[in-house]
Amino acid sequence: MSSDPVSKSGIATAPTVSAAEMKRRIKNARDPQLFASLDGHHLLGIEGMKRPVIESLLDRANQFADLPKGEVLTHLKGKTVFNLFFENSTRTRVSFDLAARKIGASVVNVPVSTSSIKKGESLLDTATTLNAMHPDILVIRHQNSGASLLLSRHVDASVVNAGDGRHEHPTQALLDALTIKRRLGEIAGLKIAICGDIANSRVARSNIHLLATLGAEIRLVSPATLLPRGIEDMGIATHHDMMEGIDGVDIVMLLRLQTERMQGTETPSQREFFHLFGLNAEKLASAAPNALIMHPGPMNRGVEIDSALADDHERSLITMQVDMGVAVRMACLEAVAAQLDQKKGS
Amino acid sequence: MTNVFFDQIHVCDPSSGFDRIASVLVKDGVIADIGAPQKIGPAPKDAEIIKADQAVLAPGLVDMRVQSRNPGYAHQESPSSLAQAAAAGGITSMVCLPNTNPVLDNPDSLAVLMAKNHIADQDGSASPKIYAYGAATTGLDDQAMAELGLLAEAGAVGFTNATKPIADSLIMRRIMDYAAMLDKPVIQHAEDLSLARDGEMNESENSTRLGLRGIPAEAEEIMVARDLALARLTGCRYHVAHISTARAIDLIRQAKADGLSVTCDTAPPYFALNDIAVMSYDTRFRLSPPLRSEEDREAVLAGIADGTIDCIASDHAPQDRDSKLLPFGVAATGASALETLLPLVMGLYHQGVIPLMRVFELTSSVPATLLDLEGGALSVGAAADLVVVAPDRGWQIRGDAFYSLSHSTPFEGQPVQGKVISTWVNGQMIYKDGA
Repeated sequence: MSSDPVSKSGIATAPTVSAAEMKRRIKNARDPQLFASLDGHHLLGIEGMKRPVIESLLDRANQFADLPKGEVLTHLKGKTVFNLFFENSTRTRVSFDLAARKIGASVVNVPVSTSSIKKGESLLDTATTLNAMHPDILVIRHQNSGASLLLSRHVDASVVNAGDGRHEHPTQALLDALTIKRRLGEIAGLKIAICGDIANSRVARSNIHLLATLGAEIRLVSPATLLPRGIEDMGIATHHDMMEGIDGVDIVMLLRLQTERMQGTETPSQREFFHLFGLNAEKLASAAPNALIMHPGPMNRGVEIDSALADDHERSLITMQVDMGVAVRMACLEAVAAQLDQKKGS
Repeated sequence: MTNVFFDQIHVCDPSSGFDRIASVLVKDGVIADIGAPQKIGPAPKDAEIIKADQAVLAPGLVDMRVQSRNPGYAHQESPSSLAQAAAAGGITSMVCLPNTNPVLDNPDSLAVLMAKNHIADQDGSASPKIYAYGAATTGLDDQAMAELGLLAEAGAVGFTNATKPIADSLIMRRIMDYAAMLDKPVIQHAEDLSLARDGEMNESENSTRLGLRGIPAEAEEIMVARDLALARLTGCRYHVAHISTARAIDLIRQAKADGLSVTCDTAPPYFALNDIAVMSYDTRFRLSPPLRSEEDREAVLAGIADGTIDCIASDHAPQDRDSKLLPFGVAATGASALETLLPLVMGLYHQGVIPLMRVFELTSSVPATLLDLEGGALSVGAAADLVVVAPDRGWQIRGDAFYSLSHSTPFEGQPVQGKVISTWVNGQMIYKDGA
């Protein structure tokens, strides 16, 4: 399926692009007609999102990914984005921060964990306070499932879910899909194995919804203790044997072992987890030839993935995922801002 | 005290099976006469005459599971809001859990609470009768048996760890031995906490979709199974509160067939709702035990219909607004339920699950009998604790119209049939619809 991985890597813009082509791309990036369309002014999850909406977000993000690196757009000038991260995060917060700035918005990183704002109890107090400052977009990460939905019911701003508990992480699934599309072209028909800590993973849930909507065949590979009840009822094949589960797949998507959300009894040890479910060259051999590896990060090397494989740029899309994150979040922020304007105008 | 004459009204008395048009004379707070209008004759001259077409006169409800929040948590429910809410719900007696502050684990705290039944309020008006369970363990911490003997003498009608299970098996065995000696029931919130650990909702495909930690139905089943073994060992009267799962109900059904002294109640959410309601993360549906699967809900209905489930309590658990305005998993469990118990159980009659008489059996005569309380019967000489209800009258549940300080109900906006017209304690009207 993949022909020339270097030319389709998307990490660097191919050098052959003409000045006229680049000009066209920049013009497109500024064109409000090309904004992605959403059903509402929040982005809370992938479940229930229709295929055309997902595709419009991916198409738009793809345009942003093709822009020259230094290009800064200004069409969200005057908009304010508040980053509200109740859980620690480096890559997602920085990615949202950068994405907002690249489309001209101003960004306030609200220091939730270090300020007087306590976790959990005062989410709505925080919301009320921030609401009075009239932000346009609130990007929230929170340790409780459903927190972003709760927030969205009590603020005037658009809410973008940057991860809520074990529920959803929609921008991660979108950036994963964009990464796959840019590397392999189509998602429909691909065989994709999602491996590891499914039970505690919001990334897994968002990816299951998104990849299934786009027509991929999904398999879950996980120890029985990390496979949540009833997931088979969502129409997904499950495996406890890694070699069997990734047999013939085009993509092995690994998840981080969410030790902070675990209750201490899910896996006997990291050593055993790596032995049974960690990806190494030997296990990867049962996947399709040239199968690709993805991981939402941060990686536990030697737990989910053999360190050498993680750094294998022929197989690993891990740095490309990070790169695509900014483009996807530009598309998402732009889309919710446009919907909010439309709502206010109507 | 004024005498009251209920003139030609449909009387439903579950304790005797009396079910026809009759007149009832109440004198000095007790039922003085009851019978066919021609037998009773006209109203005495000095009596207040109550006429109510298309209404039913029944014994006032006896609610065997109420969190009173008093003493200690008056911001969630005050003594007067509790009394008004119960009265509006047609409840004339309620049994309170010991999870107050201080905990009802000593005879003095209990005596203070119970004393209210014997003194009229300052303005001379009556209010619903209050009873209480004693704490099964000191401080409800499941470490040491509370002074069950002294609590029983002070009026405890049974023993319980309130919203938590008596989890330690040895402590449960000793409490059951002791309660059997005192001839009091042990009331259990049946949940294996080590299995349910940190659970946020019923474990199912829905919990998986929502990313909420699941509480498997087996957490209830396991605790009921253990307790039944201990009940067999000790001969204790064992009662499961708010039963919610098919397998636990099967266990109770079998235990009854085996002749064990075992009973159980459920609460309206468990026969009227299932865990799909949680899909909006609406914290009004955050309850303990959690809303279960549709199969479990159907099993609760079947248990009510075949008598395995003995009675229905409100499971009133008032919470302040702030503790519900939180992400689902950290929001407080429970709902304001006193004012919705009767119409929701009446719904079972309207759906054809149970006959009208059984509505009052489930909510009045059976709980009174189980806990040996006065009430639950319309017999001559009994205290006139009564409710007049219009079984067919429709209305809509609205939390902000509650007398309870807590307005959170999983039945918000739901249309129901069955309206309390008036509520009477010791022959005094304590609530009148529209007044």
